[in-house]
Amino acid sequence: MFKRVLIANRGEIALRVQRTCREMGIETVAVYSDADRNALHVRNADHAVRLGPGPSNESYLVIEKIIEAAKQTGADAIHPGYGFLSENAEFADAVANAGITFIGPPAEAMRALGGKISARKIMEEAGVPTVPGANDISLDDFETAKREADRIGFPLLVKASAGGGGRGIRLVQTAEDLEGAMRASASEAASSFKDATIFLEKYVSPARHIEVQIVADQHGNVQAFGERECSVQRRNQKLVEEAPSVAVTPEIRKRICDAAIAAAKSSGYRNAGTVEFLMDNDGNFYFLEVNARLQVEHPVSELVYGGVDLVALQLKVAAGEPVPDPDGPLNPVGWAMECRINGEDPFNNFVPSLGLVDFLQLPAGPGVRFDTMLFEGLDIPIFYDSLLGKLIVWGEDRPQAIERMKRALKDLIVSGPITNQAFHLELFDNEDFRNGDIYTSWLESKFTMPQLPEEDPRLDTALIAGGLAAGIIAGATAEGTARPIGLSRWVAASRSIARRGIRVDGGRTGWRRGSASQ
Amino acid sequence: MASRFRFSVEGTNHAVSVEDSPEGVSVKIDEGDYFPIDATTSGVPGLFSIIRDGVPTQAYVTRDGRALRVIVDGRVFVLAPVGAGGRGRGASGGMADPPGIITTPLAGVVVDVKVAEGDTLEPRQVVAVVEAMKMQNEVQAPMAGTVKRVAAQAGSRIEKGDLVIEYTPAEE
Repeated sequence: MFKRVLIANRGEIALRVQRTCREMGIETVAVYSDADRNALHVRNADHAVRLGPGPSNESYLVIEKIIEAAKQTGADAIHPGYGFLSENAEFADAVANAGITFIGPPAEAMRALGGKISARKIMEEAGVPTVPGANDISLDDFETAKREADRIGFPLLVKASAGGGGRGIRLVQTAEDLEGAMRASASEAASSFKDATIFLEKYVSPARHIEVQIVADQHGNVQAFGERECSVQRRNQKLVEEAPSVAVTPEIRKRICDAAIAAAKSSGYRNAGTVEFLMDNDGNFYFLEVNARLQVEHPVSELVYGGVDLVALQLKVAAGEPVPDPDGPLNPVGWAMECRINGEDPFNNFVPSLGLVDFLQLPAGPGVRFDTMLFEGLDIPIFYDSLLGKLIVWGEDRPQAIERMKRALKDLIVSGPITNQAFHLELFDNEDFRNGDIYTSWLESKFTMPQLPEEDPRLDTALIAGGLAAGIIAGATAEGTARPIGLSRWVAASRSIARRGIRVDGGRTGWRRGSASQ
Repeated sequence: MASRFRFSVEGTNHAVSVEDSPEGVSVKIDEGDYFPIDATTSGVPGLFSIIRDGVPTQAYVTRDGRALRVIVDGRVFVLAPVGAGGRGRGASGGMADPPGIITTPLAGVVVDVKVAEGDTLEPRQVVAVVEAMKMQNEVQAPMAGTVKRVAAQAGSRIEKGDLVIEYTPAEE
């Protein structure tokens, strides 16, 4: 087993990997940008190496700096987390060339699966169902493209082979719009990904997003850990994930897991990965793509498969151990759901919200797990994505998991940035969602965030607390006979407020932001 | 002896009177009657536990500029000073700018300033783009006018509430 693992990431996933390493007696190396100097993943690591300024392309995305940090600290393996360099084949190569183990798939598998067209071809050869489409079309031969489009049928999608995050995708309703859509998609792909290759795909709608968690070892074994459903999406971003899916029967589960295992074997895949599928109303599923890394939503699978630690499995198979039980049971126990707690304002078009976390109350109790980067005193950096934490619950069945999630969402208090908790609470009360009647375009087409109620009993509490606080905190508006309320402990508390959050700074600035990024 | 505080919450003014006597604390909201409460912040400053008629509630209060930001059961209220130039909307903590200035509603990096001194502004016109958390956010003009001064600089970091432009509102 490894002695020292460098975690080339930040935020909750860096902490997640650290925790498993610590349990396995492996030392951890944190890397950080200036904006993350104060972060938990830096404080909690055994070793910490500065990468550079806040922007990702000067820190977490600089391959040479990360390799150098690993060499300098004597790390024998690198865990890439998700995002950043996790699916970068050049990085995987650079790590291997430095004599360090990359905890993830081999670079060749990443390259083969990274292009959507080459991945489709691999899957077609392996007998994995793909969305009906046309791989070999181009703008130079529009007649072929048109013929293929007629064969597939409208509506269809024009997609970029190198695409991601929804870019390069065009929905085409009629043959007349095909050429324009192909041109638009190719030009967007060329500017976003420097690769104008496009292909056609039948538009499967309504479709559920169903994905299978797999772990492949170096001995040719692949173990599947059932499916997750991630159909609640906004702008191609997943917001809620669950395992299992209401739409997957044991019979479908067997077939879709077999397909995922075949997908992994045919691409020479190793380590943890996710095979994504679209599934229609009749239970037909089609290969979408492979995410060649650990995913944000991996905990829901952990919770319904006996508490398996997928990060521990990643480390073990990277060190050469076999997966424990390739023929293990496929059917999950209970129900797990995850809410992504993002720093964004659901009442204001989900505009990002950040700032100093000045108070935090964490949810706890039966079946609740909160993987988070948050702590009191954290000044959330502006450079990275808005994921603050993942609230994950387990219940005996889906209704219990839903009620448990609502309870946990109410238990969580974050003061400072505005979070999307209110959105999640609305969602978990929504009838369609509760019935599992969801598909990938459901949120954007069917769900509207209600406005805040005008008459809200919470206002009374806010006014009472505000009135009491105004008496003890200087600077609030007061009139008439304002004076501090004569309860000594409140006065003491007010002095304490002034002390809280102060960074060592010669005491000149008093109550201030606890940021280290100056 | 009672203390009386006035707050503007989402455009409506409210008055809270707090009467502190040896018998305990009583509170009166707007034109209602005084009612007794049991309140404490012991432990965590700013975290109020309030029991009224045997029903406990909890609120976390912190300062947000000249206002108080209060979180009650998942909802954020901004208790702004009354008559502070119209600032104090905020369904969820946001503040509307008074006529004549446009500030940024969030911290980030200014990636684009789309107007120059002397330009005419239309309502909802994008004046700047601020990037935060990998998202580009448009800062819009609330009303028509003419740009008087551009304060934000493309490429520089900006804090929530910082001035983006000053403008002269158009005559009605």
